Amino acid sequence: MGSWRTARWSKFAVSGALALGLAGAHGAAAAESGRLLETGSSLLYPLFNIWVPVYTKSHAAVQISTQSTGSGTGISESVSGLAQIGASDAYLSNALEKQHPEMLNIPLAISSQMVNYNLPGLNAQHLKLSGPVLAGIYEGKITKWNDPAIAKLNPAVNLPADTIVPVHRTDGSGDTFIFSQYLSDTAPDWAKTIAYGTTISWPSVQGGLGAEGNQGMVNSVKQTPYSIAYIGISFKGATDQDQLGEAMLENRAGKFVLPTDQTVQAAANSMVAKTPKDERISLIFAPGADSYPIINYEYAIIKSKQADVQTAQDLKTFLDWALRGTGGNAASFMQQVSFVPLPASVRKLSNAQIAKING
Amino acid sequence: MSAPVITAHHHGLGLRANADAERLRRRQWFSAIGWTLCGASLTLLGGAMLSILGMVLVRGIGALTPTVFTEVTQGTGGGLLNAIEGTAVIAAGTVVLAVPFGIAAGIYVSEYRWTAWARCIRFLSDVLVGVPSIVLGYFGYITMVEWLGWHFSVAAASITLAVLCLPYICRTTELALREVAPELREAGFALGASPARVTFSLVLRAALPGVVTGVLLALAISVGETAPLLYTAGWSGYLWNGQLVRSPIGYLTYVIWAFINEPFAAANALAYAAAFLTTAFVLLISLASRLLLTRRR
Amino acid sequence: MNFRTVLATVGGIVPASMIAVVVFLTTYAWPAIEYNGVGFLGGMHWNLGNLYADPIDLSGVQILPGASYGIFFLIVGTLLTTLIALLIAVPVGVGAAIFLAEAVPPGPRVWLSFLVELLAAIPSVVFGLWGYAAIVPLMAQHVFPAMAHALGWLPGFGEPIGSGFGLLTSGIVLSLMIVPLIAATLRDAIDSQPAAVREAAQALGATRFETVWRVLLPGLRSVLIGACVLATGRALGETMAVLMVSGNALNTLPQTIYAPVSTMAAFIASQLDSALQDPTGLAVRSLAEVALVLCIISIIVNVCARLLLAGFGARERRGL
Repeated sequence: MGSWRTARWSKFAVSGALALGLAGAHGAAAAESGRLLETGSSLLYPLFNIWVPVYTKSHAAVQISTQSTGSGTGISESVSGLAQIGASDAYLSNALEKQHPEMLNIPLAISSQMVNYNLPGLNAQHLKLSGPVLAGIYEGKITKWNDPAIAKLNPAVNLPADTIVPVHRTDGSGDTFIFSQYLSDTAPDWAKTIAYGTTISWPSVQGGLGAEGNQGMVNSVKQTPYSIAYIGISFKGATDQDQLGEAMLENRAGKFVLPTDQTVQAAANSMVAKTPKDERISLIFAPGADSYPIINYEYAIIKSKQADVQTAQDLKTFLDWALRGTGGNAASFMQQVSFVPLPASVRKLSNAQIAKING
Repeated sequence: MSAPVITAHHHGLGLRANADAERLRRRQWFSAIGWTLCGASLTLLGGAMLSILGMVLVRGIGALTPTVFTEVTQGTGGGLLNAIEGTAVIAAGTVVLAVPFGIAAGIYVSEYRWTAWARCIRFLSDVLVGVPSIVLGYFGYITMVEWLGWHFSVAAASITLAVLCLPYICRTTELALREVAPELREAGFALGASPARVTFSLVLRAALPGVVTGVLLALAISVGETAPLLYTAGWSGYLWNGQLVRSPIGYLTYVIWAFINEPFAAANALAYAAAFLTTAFVLLISLASRLLLTRRR
Repeated sequence: MNFRTVLATVGGIVPASMIAVVVFLTTYAWPAIEYNGVGFLGGMHWNLGNLYADPIDLSGVQILPGASYGIFFLIVGTLLTTLIALLIAVPVGVGAAIFLAEAVPPGPRVWLSFLVELLAAIPSVVFGLWGYAAIVPLMAQHVFPAMAHALGWLPGFGEPIGSGFGLLTSGIVLSLMIVPLIAATLRDAIDSQPAAVREAAQALGATRFETVWRVLLPGLRSVLIGACVLATGRALGETMAVLMVSGNALNTLPQTIYAPVSTMAAFIASQLDSALQDPTGLAVRSLAEVALVLCIISIIVNVCARLLLAGFGARERRGL
């Protein structure tokens, strides 16, 4: 009886040890092939999804997983080390930088943001909207589409009398960051009461909706008549396919423009000279008659001190590739998501930051 | 009796007979309406069930191409191989962790039920059932992902799900053991067997179908849960690299949750395919445990 | 070592994990509990503050300017969705249980009961998927307009009918998830009633329906209540399904039954990422406080349910 019991237990113990040993050996071997987790901005997500298959074909030893979780998550997971690449349309706040001085904000491209709406019958026209009007809509002060403030900007349009349904992002979002920066720069009372951030305290508007990710914004506007939302330019294919309306926004010179390569480039050109070494700068409401008011750097938030040498090396190689005009910043990639490649001066700054990554 | 009195007497009886007939009709109407409403309720439930199964089946099978089983998720397209493998790994880890502890607790509560410790285990186990899975996920995030520094990992995911499953296994094991006749135990002790021998070789073996039901329940839970895994397993677009800590892993329910929202048809198709696989697996497990229980009786 | 001791120790993981969960959550949330005070439950606004401004010092605690943590809208959202779910699930569950126990012949009864129980097995995220893909469009395009048209005079049932994501839709999806609990428990209880009671009622001239409705069910009141409370416990903690159909309202109370809401469970799942952005860490701890509140409420509800059901079980065993 005693021997039976010992035999049973010892068999159990041996198989358990084997399993653990196998897992350990497997794990140790696997640590040598690089695994990177990219998480964050849904605006940058489509671009990463076309970058990764191409990159990993020529760099087979690296495995990059992508996730669309919002810029807020990109920032926080990169800071805590859960993810190696935090994709974000927003740079780190001063407070976070002070707390974590080892964080790098590395622009990879320049993107922009659309304001889309769903007005039955009117989606083919481009409504003219300004920052103060948008602030009024999201504050709940402008409730109907035929409000005098909107009508003044669009005298030739037969605006319906229906209630506006403003849609905002529920997750920590870089799109919220740049949109609220636009509202703060153009509407003083918004700047005073709500200001900007990846998450802000949205004023309660009856019927206002919350959506997750840019994809949620597209779906919400598609399904909800008389709604309005701010959506990243990389989703232009989806909004065009769903035939959603796209607004012309008022820029600093008082002109109303759509986000095209030309208007985004014009805005970028007027701002890049001001980009500091740590590359934390807002490109919102740039001067210039042709400038589009909502453009931003797409950041990879990276911790300069990585877990090991292999990861650091893999990161640097990938980011170098992403910045190159023959690599990630090639026109073929940029055009698919309607982004603008980084200007040469900014690319130099980014490369300098990449050099700081070590393991 | 005079004629008017007789007529009045009969008339009174007739009135009461009418009242009785009236009441009977009302009661029959009431019963008829009652049965109709009850039947409608059952039809409503059956209809909803068929609607869900139908949607998952129709859209899911349509998306089940061979690449789903051979390719990993590439961005928002590709296949589900990594998610399937990840779900299997997490489920295996959960079962390996939860079953020994849960069964041990169930045995103790059943065989030593008069002790205070057994009552304590029972009570706290019942309390644990009531804890929402998102709360356990948050707990797992604070303790294992952040505090212990494991980051997104199989270990964090499996331990969190194991805690979720423990009370169910404890309960089913206890109930199964209670059904076993005390005579079996007495016979074992009478033959001089030790408590361990009696429990494992006699009682547990007799109660095995019921105990296995609990294990199957744990399996179903670990395949179907999403919220706790969002913050403990993370996501990986590749096959598991064998690391228990500091390595995120994919799982099917993540695909359902994250990909259905994407405005890309390929992503939506993967979401439905994942929903089909998950639902089919969970339903098969339910069927299996039901068969086990009926065969036992 | 003694077999019993080994068992007691190994099995002790179960109570230990329960205690660990509560202890860790409380410890982690303590700074937030201290800071937020009682106003947490009644406060109307959940505001992370100005994430891009510098933290300020408020009576010894570092917080972001403008930050305040109040979850009243969450509590209202959770209670309302659970209430609507129960209002739908209880009649439907009771009706289905009665029909299954009494009207369905034994052959189909087995697989029909199984079908109903399967509803409980379907993963929450698949319910959310079905709600998102099938129910929300159905509500928005057909049901809500009809309801507003017919019932618009009732307060809370009128325009605007919204987008389909909201309180009523969440209640409907939730009710389907909890109805098997009620139906299965009640059906078993009806089945287990002694035949003598049935025969006595029918000898007195009761129809079959009256036998169930007026004789059997009243005796099962505590089982029904116990099952309902158990269902409530399940509904309170539901995350994924609600997250996908509720509309995720922030800081607003629903004015109509079609309006978006937020529940505590869905809020925790969707707001953790935003809360992690707070450099002072108070937001994550306040979210842990929300988790703690939800945990305690669920535990209380569940324990009450068990006591009620155990009471019935005990009476059964005593032969009452």
